[in-house]
Amino acid sequence: MSALTFTLKIRPDQRVDMSPLVCQLLQDKDPSDIAAIELQSGKRKLRVDELFNVSGSDTQNIIIKNSFGKLDFIGKELDGGSITVEGDAGAYLAMGMKSGEIKISGNAGLYAGCEMKKGYLEIAGDTGDFLGGALPGNKMGMKGGLILVKGNAGERVGDHLRRGTILIEGNAGDYCGSRMTAGTIAVMGQTGRYLGYAMRRGTLLLWNPPVLSPSFNDCGTHTLAFLPMLFKAFATLNSKFADSAAAFNRVQRYAGDMAEMGRGEVLVKI
Amino acid sequence: MLIKLSGGTVYDPAAGIAGQQQDIYIGNGRIINPPADAKPDKEYDLKGKVVMSGAIDMHTHIGGGKGNIARTLLPEDHRQDPVASTHICRSGCGHAMPSTFVTGYRYAEMGYTAGFEPALLPINARQAHMEMGDIPILDKGGYVMLGSDDYLLRMLTAKKDQKAINDYVAWTIQSAKAIGIKVVNPGGINAFKFNQRKLDLDEQNSHYGVSPREILQVLATAVKEIGVSHPLHVHGCNLGVPGNMQTTLDTIQGIGGLPMHLTHIQFHSYGTEGDFKFSSGAAQIAEAVNKNKNITIDVGQILFGQTVTASGDSMRQHANHKHASPNKWVTMDIECDAGCGVVPFKYKDQNFVNALQWAIGLETFLLVDDPWRIFLTTDHPNGAPFTCYPHLIRLLMDKSFRNDMLATIHPEAQKMTTLASIDREYSLQEIAIMTRAGAAKLIGLKDRGGLSAGNWADITVYTDNPNREQMFEKPDYVFKDGELVVVDGKVVATKWGTTHTVKPDFDPSVEKGLKEYFDRYLTMKLGNFKISDEEITEDGRGSITVHPLKG
Repeated sequence: MSALTFTLKIRPDQRVDMSPLVCQLLQDKDPSDIAAIELQSGKRKLRVDELFNVSGSDTQNIIIKNSFGKLDFIGKELDGGSITVEGDAGAYLAMGMKSGEIKISGNAGLYAGCEMKKGYLEIAGDTGDFLGGALPGNKMGMKGGLILVKGNAGERVGDHLRRGTILIEGNAGDYCGSRMTAGTIAVMGQTGRYLGYAMRRGTLLLWNPPVLSPSFNDCGTHTLAFLPMLFKAFATLNSKFADSAAAFNRVQRYAGDMAEMGRGEVLVKI
Repeated sequence: MLIKLSGGTVYDPAAGIAGQQQDIYIGNGRIINPPADAKPDKEYDLKGKVVMSGAIDMHTHIGGGKGNIARTLLPEDHRQDPVASTHICRSGCGHAMPSTFVTGYRYAEMGYTAGFEPALLPINARQAHMEMGDIPILDKGGYVMLGSDDYLLRMLTAKKDQKAINDYVAWTIQSAKAIGIKVVNPGGINAFKFNQRKLDLDEQNSHYGVSPREILQVLATAVKEIGVSHPLHVHGCNLGVPGNMQTTLDTIQGIGGLPMHLTHIQFHSYGTEGDFKFSSGAAQIAEAVNKNKNITIDVGQILFGQTVTASGDSMRQHANHKHASPNKWVTMDIECDAGCGVVPFKYKDQNFVNALQWAIGLETFLLVDDPWRIFLTTDHPNGAPFTCYPHLIRLLMDKSFRNDMLATIHPEAQKMTTLASIDREYSLQEIAIMTRAGAAKLIGLKDRGGLSAGNWADITVYTDNPNREQMFEKPDYVFKDGELVVVDGKVVATKWGTTHTVKPDFDPSVEKGLKEYFDRYLTMKLGNFKISDEEITEDGRGSITVHPLKG
């Protein structure tokens, strides 16, 4: 059985809500039913076959080709199966994902992986603000799973992060790890201003020294035995994080945000 | 256009009609006597249907800044309940604190044709009227909030005479385009700003040296003397505090026979008995209400689920912020005039306190004898969103349903309530009194809340159904001012209601002292503070109805 493939024919002017096209909702559907699904685009509804050429039949293995930055909510609440995006994705990629795997070859927009529960999200390009964050007003961001970004991430990475891991090979914007409750964010590149703003607990793991707020306390240098174990967990990833040369166990440790609980930590490679 | 509603079973307590088959004629928006020969342009066959006047919610938070704070605080409340536009209705959203348009549609779809905002802050009254001006179909009005305002407290400290206070109260009602006076935690909102975290009925404000009892007395006297029909609308001291039943009983005694409306009394009816030091005071409160004919109450029933509490009582909201669910809240001062607290709540049937609150509200409904003096409210959105009313009506009208629900709540709470032993079931006539005729009488609405000739044609038609929840959540027809606006529980046409007000007289010299005060202390000038009729009517859809004064 070949993967169910949606190849974008036209680029609509308005954004498209792709949330109906996830594995668990398409299970047991005929190709004609799938072609007839209506997708909200601005104030109009468009049939799937107006936007896409549809081929293949394996609904648990979806490929979206020619994708571009106005296709929002790809893989929303995905519960098992895999989605591969060739091109860019719009906002809310993998929002609330429950399990399964989403990979994208291009860039993702705002709120990628927001409030994700479990599963694996891999973004080959860059990603917008609020990666793995919480929707406005909500108190909990990503609760589990793993996000890997090979490019750069925008601001507010892991806002209100509750659990799970975010790995960024490139740079992260301002307010990385803001309001984190727990969880882990690792950034190989540079980080912006207000790192860990109002974080309560959790770990920020950095390869480069950050600009830290005065509300973080220097706790000295440490050799941490858990770090080799953490890196070992990344060994199977298709990523620089899997490279044993990237691993380290000697860090400068900072605790904060002292304006909040202060039980979070920023670990910087030395 | 002449409309005839034929053969419906009419419940019109205002005219003493309880379930008689009658024809109703509508002409020019009002109910008229049967015309001698004219043939109706449109006739509705209502045989077997229940006909009541449009329901009136006499206490519902539908306008004013706190609503917008709640909306801003809870975007998820809106995200989870989107409402698409139709060719008749505008789009909107919201469950606990819906958008203005959705508020109007949802009320109308339950057969309501009027709602009254109980906490119109004088300094924010303009915004509240503008917001209510965006609520379609419903008539609206507001009770203007006094009692924690700096100016009144200064007057009391300076021992100004009752006449001066009457002038200030009447001037405020006119300036804010209100229909009554509301007091929230009398003096307590102000005392909070002087770092007092509780204020009992006879406790003095540490700065002004004024007690809540004095504030209630002068304001209740003022309301009576300037001739406003709606009695002083009181949100008492110690909201939500175990043992506050005694405060409420003292408040009833302390008012000395003056007319007084105690609002959301469920939150003020708590004892301190039992293992958890929290018990029902409903029986004692109901006894006091039954005995004191000057007292009217509305219940403020809680119903289980997610909602948000929005109140002017910043003192008590601050104390309750620990219970915020989800955990985010706002308490603020409003221009030294009053306060505001917004705390989201999720009432749970397996939580002892919430479960007992639920039972206390129902006990109150069932133990107060006179339906003309008790009103059906959830203090929307504080106890539950107004969309829960049909469910609440079923709880009141259906004993076995009530007992089934009772059996599901926290077991310790079941032991602490007498609810299971109360056999009373509300009749349709009693529901019509509580939600129509009684409410119109309480607020002092002329030509509303009744179905006799001369009344405005606000009419709701239901299909009789033993399941009262289904019956009341989906009326067959709703007419507003003679126009058909709802069919089968869906809005089919929309229009604009009026704003109900009163205009009590005052001595114009009252503005002299006020002008100096405004110039020195406040953010706006006296001239801008006063709302003109045109501000409500100039958009072509709002209108003002002035109701007569008493005596």
